Amino acid sequence: MDAILQVENLTKQYVGFMLDHVSFSVPKGTIMGLIGENGAGKSTTINEILDLIHKDDGTVTFWGQELSSSSQLKEDIGVVFDDINFYDTLTPAKVGKISSAAYKQWDEYLYQGFLNRFQLPSDKEIKTLSKGMKMKLCIAVALSHKPKLLILDEATSGLDPVMRDDILDVFLDFVQDENHSILMSSHITTDLEKVADYITFIHQGKVLFCKTKDELRYHYGIIRCGAAMLDQLDKDEILAYRKDDYQWNVLVADKGKARRKYKNAVVDDATIDDILLLYVKGEQAR
Amino acid sequence: MKSLILKDLFNIGHNAKSMLFILVVFAVALIPFSDVEGYIFVCAILCSMMIVTTFSFDDNSKWTRYAMIMPVSKKELVVGKFVVLAIFCAVGSLFGLVIGSISGFAMRKITFDFAGIGELLFLALAAWVISLIFGSMSIPLVFKFGAEKGRVLLLVSFLIPAGICFGIYQLLTILGVELTDQLVFILLCCSPLPVS
Repeated sequence: MDAILQVENLTKQYVGFMLDHVSFSVPKGTIMGLIGENGAGKSTTINEILDLIHKDDGTVTFWGQELSSSSQLKEDIGVVFDDINFYDTLTPAKVGKISSAAYKQWDEYLYQGFLNRFQLPSDKEIKTLSKGMKMKLCIAVALSHKPKLLILDEATSGLDPVMRDDILDVFLDFVQDENHSILMSSHITTDLEKVADYITFIHQGKVLFCKTKDELRYHYGIIRCGAAMLDQLDKDEILAYRKDDYQWNVLVADKGKARRKYKNAVVDDATIDDILLLYVKGEQAR
Repeated sequence: MKSLILKDLFNIGHNAKSMLFILVVFAVALIPFSDVEGYIFVCAILCSMMIVTTFSFDDNSKWTRYAMIMPVSKKELVVGKFVVLAIFCAVGSLFGLVIGSISGFAMRKITFDFAGIGELLFLALAAWVISLIFGSMSIPLVFKFGAEKGRVLLLVSFLIPAGICFGIYQLLTILGVELTDQLVFILLCCSPLPVS
């Protein structure tokens, strides 16, 4: 696996919270989704990856190099946070001038193309733009210095479904180049279901799993059953379980096997949302 | 670093009109009753204070976090602020020089002979240096404590030395020591200021 980003044993201790030996890698040509509830450690992980906060332990390498070792690496990494980081009175045209002075790889023609594509007026002040327009501007800036890796921290949060769909299309276009990758954190799991190739689930500062989206979609399932049936289930197969009003929902890693084994039980497909909810709000079996 | 300087200039550009207005008001208020020299210093000092405002804009938009993901080093981030400060001070001094000279000439407070122009140019340069020193004190404070706390600390850092100097002056007066220009000059030469 040819990884663009390799995260190993990332650790950070805060009072009341610990990011605990987080490890995962983002292969070339893929989109890695980082999911987890609010406060799970997604943003802390991204901030540590970008050297914005001091790591207690662990290593982060981009194309095999640490971020501090070369300024060229920053040219190849585009970052979008959950809010715009340019002051309200600037205009997209001025943002372009500032960014073009910062990045050697800046492509003004590409930037103007994104402004047109996103219907962003170049002379309007940022404070007059909607939340969605601001995010589009951030994405236009991040893409116009021709990065090979995009890191997005809750970039689609707060956008309406139409805007989100537009932006997800842009991300899918970006990874058409097999040397490009995206690491995106989001708690809108439907977005990740649409575009991600891999899902890393962080819960209470720990990586619960890092799997391909297809494995989650095609193999994970939820057994809906009563209390009596729950007792009969093989405990080794249960990942997490939770009681609803009238039934138990049991998350299993192999729904095909569960359907064959428990013919009287209803085994549904599990969405990423279901998986997240069962892990976060339910009991973990192992 | 050019991007950092551009960003601050674009950001402050929005406030330039109100600053211009304030400087004109000061011109009307100060020059008829005072002198042109004082006005040049006021312009330079007021413009140097805008550096703290640029930090407020940065805090407001969480710019520093974003700057760190750009190909910009922490050193450039700091040096960039000093360059912007030098530009602000230069703009203030020049504005003071031009408006002060025109107003002073109109009110017959200055004459446009060789010595008069030389003196004004020297004063503008002195105003630039002093406002640069004044602003330079604020930059480390604001980097360390943020724009809001930095502003307060800046005020305190001026008031405390001023208070101490005034106290010493009062004490010397009570003790019967007279501070002549020569004595002040000797004390200034002995102080660590010329070395730094």
